[in-house]
Order: sequence, then C-alpha cells, then structure tokens
Amino acid sequence: MDNMQPIPNQSETTPFPEGEALKNQIQWRHRQGLAWRLLFIAALLIAISSLIALLYNILNDSFGYVVVINKVDPQRLALDVVEEQILNTANTVSSEDDFELANGIANDSNGIGFFGIAYYQENNETLKLLAVDGVMPNAETAASGEYPFTRPLYLYTADAVLQNNQAANIFLNYLLNNVNSEIETVGYFPATSAAYAAAQQRWLSANPGLGLQSGQWVSIEPDGMAGTIRVVGSSTVFPLTQHMLEQYQEAGFAGNFGNESVGSSAGLAAFCSGQADFAASSRPIQSGEIEACRNNGRFPLEFQIGTDALAIVVNNQNSALNEVSTEQLQQIFTTATTWNEVNEAWPAQAIQRYIPGADSGTLDFFAEAVYQTSLASLPKDDLVRLLATNISTGRGRALEREQRFYESALVFEDPATWNEVCAAPAGERPSGCIAEPRTQEEVYDLLLAEVIQPDVVKVYNLQNSLLNRTAIATEAAALYPNGEITFRSWLSADFITDPQSSTPEFAGVRTAIFGSLWVIFITILFSFPIGVGAAIYLEEYAADNRLNRILQTNINNLAGVPSIIYGMLGLAIFVRVLEQLTSGAIFGAVESTASANGRTIISAGLTLGLLILPLIIINAQEALRAVPNSLRQAGLALGATQWQTIWYHVLPSALPGILTGTILAVSRAIGETAPLVVVGASTFITVDPSGPFSKFTTLPIQIYQWTSRPQAEFRNIAAAAIIVLLAMLLSLNASAIILRNRYSTRSI
Amino acid sequence: MKPNTSFSNGSVAVEAKEMQVYYGSFRAVKDIALKIPTKHITALIGPSGCGKSTVLRSFNRMNDLVASARVEGQILYHGSNIYDTHVDPVEIRRRIGMVFQKPNPFSKTIYENVAWGARINGFKGNMDQLVEESLRQAALWDEVKDKLSQSGYSLSGGQQQRLCIARTIAVKPEIILMDEPTSALDPVATLRIEELIQELKKQYTIIIVTHNMQQAARASDYTAFFNMDGDRAGYLVEFDNTNELFTNPKNELTEQYITGRFG
Ligand SMILES: Nc1ncnc2c1ncn2[C@@H]1O[C@H](COP(=O)(O)OP(=O)(O)O)[C@@H](O)[C@H]1O
Ligand SMILES: [Mg+2]
Repeated sequence: MDNMQPIPNQSETTPFPEGEALKNQIQWRHRQGLAWRLLFIAALLIAISSLIALLYNILNDSFGYVVVINKVDPQRLALDVVEEQILNTANTVSSEDDFELANGIANDSNGIGFFGIAYYQENNETLKLLAVDGVMPNAETAASGEYPFTRPLYLYTADAVLQNNQAANIFLNYLLNNVNSEIETVGYFPATSAAYAAAQQRWLSANPGLGLQSGQWVSIEPDGMAGTIRVVGSSTVFPLTQHMLEQYQEAGFAGNFGNESVGSSAGLAAFCSGQADFAASSRPIQSGEIEACRNNGRFPLEFQIGTDALAIVVNNQNSALNEVSTEQLQQIFTTATTWNEVNEAWPAQAIQRYIPGADSGTLDFFAEAVYQTSLASLPKDDLVRLLATNISTGRGRALEREQRFYESALVFEDPATWNEVCAAPAGERPSGCIAEPRTQEEVYDLLLAEVIQPDVVKVYNLQNSLLNRTAIATEAAALYPNGEITFRSWLSADFITDPQSSTPEFAGVRTAIFGSLWVIFITILFSFPIGVGAAIYLEEYAADNRLNRILQTNINNLAGVPSIIYGMLGLAIFVRVLEQLTSGAIFGAVESTASANGRTIISAGLTLGLLILPLIIINAQEALRAVPNSLRQAGLALGATQWQTIWYHVLPSALPGILTGTILAVSRAIGETAPLVVVGASTFITVDPSGPFSKFTTLPIQIYQWTSRPQAEFRNIAAAAIIVLLAMLLSLNASAIILRNRYSTRSI
Repeated sequence: MKPNTSFSNGSVAVEAKEMQVYYGSFRAVKDIALKIPTKHITALIGPSGCGKSTVLRSFNRMNDLVASARVEGQILYHGSNIYDTHVDPVEIRRRIGMVFQKPNPFSKTIYENVAWGARINGFKGNMDQLVEESLRQAALWDEVKDKLSQSGYSLSGGQQQRLCIARTIAVKPEIILMDEPTSALDPVATLRIEELIQELKKQYTIIIVTHNMQQAARASDYTAFFNMDGDRAGYLVEFDNTNELFTNPKNELTEQYITGRFG
C-alpha cells in the first residue's frame, strides 16, 4: 500500500474521500469486517465448547471405577463346587489336622496330599516333596513366585484387641520384630519386604500413643508382661504362631497363651465373634467374614507374617512320582482312580488322597490354584445346584414357572403341580410351560441376580477414575473393605442386549432400542409419504388462492407447536378415539398377557408422525421450490403431463433436499420424550415389542426415567443409554445420507 | 395503416386472430393477427419487452404456466382454436415443441434426454434408432455418440442447446418454437444453430424470436416486427417476406428499427 503511487485527483471536488481520508475509510471498513469475523468465530467456539461439555458429561458418567459389594462372593461359590468334588472323590481322607495327614501319607505307599511346607519339613524322612510344573518349592522359588502354589500367611486382629489387650499388642510387636529370623526354622519363608513394612505400619497406626512417625519402628521388650493371648485358626499357620508364642514366653512374657489349630474359616469365625485375640489364616479374609466382624464391632486388621509354598507330598517309598503338573493334580484329586490313569509310567495302583477339610484355607487355596475355576465357566448342572442350595424353594418355583431349567426335569416344582398348572388355558399358562429351558448363561445371570446380588455402593466418574486412581483405591479400601473395586464401562454389550431391570447393574436397553426402532419405522411410514405428498400439492398444483394460503400458514405454525401438545392430541385421537384400531383389537391382534389399550407402538408412531409432518412438508416444499422452473417447462414442452414432469424430473431433482429435511425431522422424532410420556409409553417393560400393537418404551423415555431415579448408578446407565441413542441417531442418519448420495449420483 | 399479415404462396401452419394477452390486468400484447407459413422460418423481432416471447408462448399454451396470464382471441391450429376448453394443452405441446432461451437439458443421460419425450408419448419404434436419428438431425451425433450415458449437463452450452433441439424433434412435432435460442451462446455456436435451423425447416415449421436483426435477416424466410404503444402493449407492426421487410419496409417504424434508430 505504502509504495503505491498516489492516484492523482482528477477533479478538486470529487464526492469520494481521497488520500488520507480514503485510507482511513478503507481501514475502517476492514475493521468492521474483522469485528464481524471475530464475532462469528466466538459463536462457533461457544457452539463447539457446549457440545464438548455435553459429550464430556455423558462420557464422564458412562465409564469409571465402581465399588461393588457382592452379597455372596462368586469365587467362593465356584470353589464350593470344586471343593465338594474333591472331598467327595473316593479314597479321600480329610482332616483339619495336618499332622494326621502327614502320618497318613507316611504310612501309605500310595498316599498323596498337600499342606503347608512346614509339615513336610517336620516329616521329611517319611515323605517326599514333589516338584510342580518342574519347580521345587524352596525359599528362592517362593520369593520369586516361580513356584505356583506360593501363598501368604496371615494373622488377623482388630484395633479393639490391640488397645485392650496389651499382652497381645506387645506380642504382635515382638512377632513383627523377630518373625523373619525365626520363620525358616519352622519351615516357612519370609514375607516380602513390602508386606513386612505394611504390617509394621499397620501396627504403628494402631498404637498412636507411641508418637512415632511412619517409617520409624520400635521394638518393645516383653519383660514381665502379664495377661492372656488366644490365637485360633489355620493349621498351616499353627506351627509358626506356636513357635513365636513360645519364643515370646522365653523373651520374658509372663502370661498365658492358647493356640488352636481349627482351620482358617473356623478361626476367623471365632475371632470375629470375639472369642480370640488373633485369627491365623492361610488365605485372605473374605467379604462376608469382614461383614461379620464389623457387625461385632471388630474391624479386622491384616498382618502378613510369612509365606508358604504349599507342599505336594507323597510317601517316600513312591519312586515313580517326582514331579506333577497342574493338570495332573486336577486328575489325581478328582477324576483319576489309579496312578497310571494320570501317567502311563506310574503304577496301576489306587490313589489314596489325604487332604485338609472343608474349613481349611489350604483346601480353598488348592482348589483355586489348581482348578482355576470361575463361576461363569461352571457347567449348567453345577450352577443350577448352587442356585437350588442358595434360594428358597418358593422363589425357585416362581423362577421355574417363568422359564424352566431343564427340558425334561424339574428342579423346584413337583411334577403333579406342574402338570396341573400347565394344563390351564393358553392365556393363563405360565411362560415356563412353553419357553425353551434356560441356557448355562441364563442360569449364571440368574445366580448373579438372585444369590450373588452385586451391589454398586460407590461410583466414580471417568475423570476421577483416570486422574486419582490411587486416591480412589485408598478411599474405597477404607470405606468399603469388603468391596471390590473395578473399572466399569456402563456401556457394554450386555447393556445393549439386556432388557430393562430394576437393578441398574442388570438393566439394559434392548427393549427400548426395539421400541425406538419400531416407533420410528411407523413414524416414517406415516409422515414421509403424506408430508411429501402434501408438499407436492402445495408447491406444484395448488393455486395461489386464499384457502391455500391459509393452509400454508397453518402448516408453518404447526411446526412451532410444543411437542407436548402433539402428545395430548395423540392421546385423544389415537389412544382414546381410535383405540379399537390402535390396540389392534379390530385385527384380533390383542396380546393376551398385556392389554395395552391404545397405548401401543402404532399410537406413538402416528403421534410422532403428526409432530414431524409440518417439518417434512416445509422442508419438501423448500426442496421443490429450489427446482428451476426451466426443468418443468422443458418437460411440459415435450408434451408431458404435469404429473409426468413432476415424477420424472421435479421429484428426482428435489429428492436429496427432501431427504435431508426428512432426516432432520426424523432425528428430532427419535429424541422426543414428552409426547410419548403423554401417549403412554410403558415405564417398566422387559418384553420386546412384537409388532405395531405392542406396548413399548423408547430410548429417550428410558433415559428420562433413569435420570429421575435417586440412586447414583441410574445416572450412569442413563449416560450409557444416551451414548446408545446418539450412536443410533448417527447410524440412522449416516445410512440415510449414503442412500441419498447414491440416489443423487445415480440420477446424474 | 393495417399491417400486412399475408404471404404469397404456401399453407398456414398456425394463425393468431384478434389475440390479446393479459398478465393480470396488464395487457401485454394486443390485436395480434398473424399467419405462420408451413415449413418456413418465421422470425419475431422487436424491441425488448414488446411481447415477442408472450406471443410465442401463446402458440403452444406455455402461458398456462403463468398463473396470471390470460389469452383472448383465437389461435387457429388445424382449423380449431387451441384455447377452446375441450383442447388438451398436452396434445398441443406434443405437436408444437419449444426450445428455450437458456439450454435446459434434464439432469439425465444424453440418451435419456432424447428418449424420454418419445417414451412418455408412447413411441413404439426402435428407440436407439430414434435417438441417433434425432441427434443426427440436431447435428450433435458425432460429438456425443461415444458418451450417450453421460449427463446432459456435461456438454457445452451450444451442445446443450442442440441436445434440447434433438429432444424436441424426437417427438416429431409439426412446429418448433424457439425463444432466442442463441442468446446464451458464443458466435460459433450461434452459427451452428442457425445452420441447423436451415436444415430443420425442410421438415418443420419454425418460429424463432430473436433480438438480433442480422440473425433474422440471415436465417429467416419471414419476419414479423413488433413494437409497443404508449400503454406498453405490444402489437404487430409489419409482417413480410424477410428480404422485403429488410430492404423495403412499408412502415416507417420498421425502417427506423432495422436501421438501428431505436430499440
Ligand atoms: N410472467 C409474467 N408476468 C407478468 N408480466 C409479464 C410476464 N412475462 C412478461 N411480462 C410482461 O409482458 C411484457 C412482454 O414481455 P415479453 O413477452 O417477455 O417481451 P419480450 O420477449 O418481447 O422481451 C413485458 O412488459 C413484461 O414485463
Ligand atoms: Mg423475450
């Protein structure tokens, strides 16, 4: 600009600004343009950021950590099944006393069994230790975890005990000071240093009176300490606690102690009911046990005091066996009768099993480590049996009438009653009489809902879950020690394929998706042909007279009427007046089980159809108006009738525009809630719609209902349902757009 | 002075009698009396807005598309008035085709552009042959024979206009109306269309509106000169053999117009 030659004024009295004034004037105009541009950018930013905020909100609620408390531990149920199998295998001796087991194997050349490695060390002249999967248990393989059956040994106590029983408190301090140097003499291995430090820290927290910082440690001399200490529990831990208690006495403890080997479960039960100061356990405490403890005012504290490498032993006369694999162990303790069934090289003699009893943590550990079952993978028979032992017969009968478990056998109901019930006329017969029997998966789901009853007690949003993972873990552990923390995607395959449920954990949107699809199908079927037809009449045929102008104005106004009013219209016309038609009664299509009156899919579809009809008409008119008149003239000038001209030339040209308008209108209908509430969408429905005369619910209705529930988890599934709704909208739109583009390229 | 409205030899293809055309209450043309000679080219000339297009559209009832338009008087075609109530405009347009100022092919293939009119009018013969023949007559065949399945819009403006002509002659009309068919085209394309029109007059009666006096002088056999009055209603000033009208105009206005002194 600056190096431009000044344009000489042609006349002194030009009516335009010149020179400096021209420059200023142009600059001013540029500035105006810039201001507008900034304004538009700001508008765009506002639009984008509100969309992002919306999306963020939805995603934030759809994923994140949850704390789940199971009424019954599913792993426990699965282990029960396996343990029952192991215990019921022929030639199996079981005892809570590991000495008995060790003696049994020592006197039986075909004996095999398992227990804490300390018991092997004590009897290593008569017993033979087996390698598992090629690894021998020893301090190294236990510390590295290379030996597959390595497990921690625990001592449980409670704040209340440590505060009230000084003898017990000081014993624990003594134990933590000395266990690492003593443990090898018993035959076990030290805990990891992290577990050891955590145990010390826990003891320090229970003794705030000492005024020690975390990381510091103190060892207290038990000199002259009086009182009584009672330890109950695992036979595996027993030798270790016994040894430590004796050492404690030697170090100056002047009181008494009792130590009983009754099994981990029994020990924990005794401790939780206040009968003991410590529970020794060869497995972690379970959620149900924590619950029982807390109910007695005992908040269990966990101390890992050592590590065991579960020993698999045989009689030392047994020259054939030196090592076993996990698979072989599975056979040895359940299915196999003789050794050579497991391995051809082994003797053809009957296997004699010596195993810990049902109360023992060792059996639990063995079952879990060797059989590695999960509840979901158990066969249907086992699941049905678990269900039968864990629910009342009455409930079982109800479930069986809903859907039976086996084609030809009854589980809960007696055959006579069943035949009587199923002889009833078609309408009153329970669904179980005809429905296919439940599959393994369905029984599993039932077990989950009826027995395990997972309860989400706390949810964290996605942002929190990603940023504050450790804080969440500590908080959850403190608030819900028996809770299980998992990352939950509320949007899952199950969520999409499951029907509605009153428990958010089990609720899905399948019924609502089908409902939405059906309703939209009816909506399009009704509004598209009528809307486009009306638009063609108004645009192509209607004379410009007063009647048509009034019609046009009314249609434009209808587009702005609040949707709830369409709902009231739909209720009055489709549900009430046309009930015979919309309930399907005229066609004999009434579903006997659920009389929907007129509150059916077809009523909803027609109502939404009315709602979007003005939009479709107006959009289609717009599209028709955009078709150049020269096209109509061209057709007519060839001797075409007006209809031929419209059908062959005007409509194809307008179709992309008409479809675009229809897509927008239908998108609106998919998201409508208010009119459907008025028309009478079902609030709770688990049966998929089977046709236009079914009761229904739709995704937005479902979302609306979930958001109005007080429990937090409903907000999460509502958010997940919103994602489903958005995905459905996007895919419907995308397919409509693809269709439209294909059409408009084909007609060239 | 009464304008000359007759020609020496040959028959009349269509005739306007006492014709008035109104748009609402506005009379656009008045008292038109005009006989169009069969298988000749008749040019309609006159200043802009004098009603040439209005008159032309009256001949095949294209004015029906304008809601406010109303035609009084008669247009006689094969002895009957095309504005009689029992006459179907569809049939009239089938016989009297039209080519517009701006090329307006259908958004279909070149082949379909030509075939469609014939098909809807119940053509029973060999369609491929008809399409080829029409395109040949429109002097377009050589240029499009390899791309018949491409869109009509893929052609140049001049080609599009020839396609529109091919489309029109495919339904075998008697008369072809052309409203300034070359005004949107360049000089070369214009010349090609003019040559084409000369060919077409062997088979068809052609009425062409043009504001280009050279074109009228070059390409037409007869010329009708329109003008408008103070009330802006157009009227026919003079009709004659083109040679005669341009060399020896009877009316002073005609002379003024063709010598470029107004218009
Ligand atoms: N559709 C219409 N509605 C109203 N007036 C029109 C319409 N078409 C043409 N006219 C009027 O009729 C007169 C003649 O127009 P037209 O036939 O297009 O003239 P020309 O083709 O000679 O330029 C003009 O005054 C024009 O304004
Ligand atoms: Mg004109």
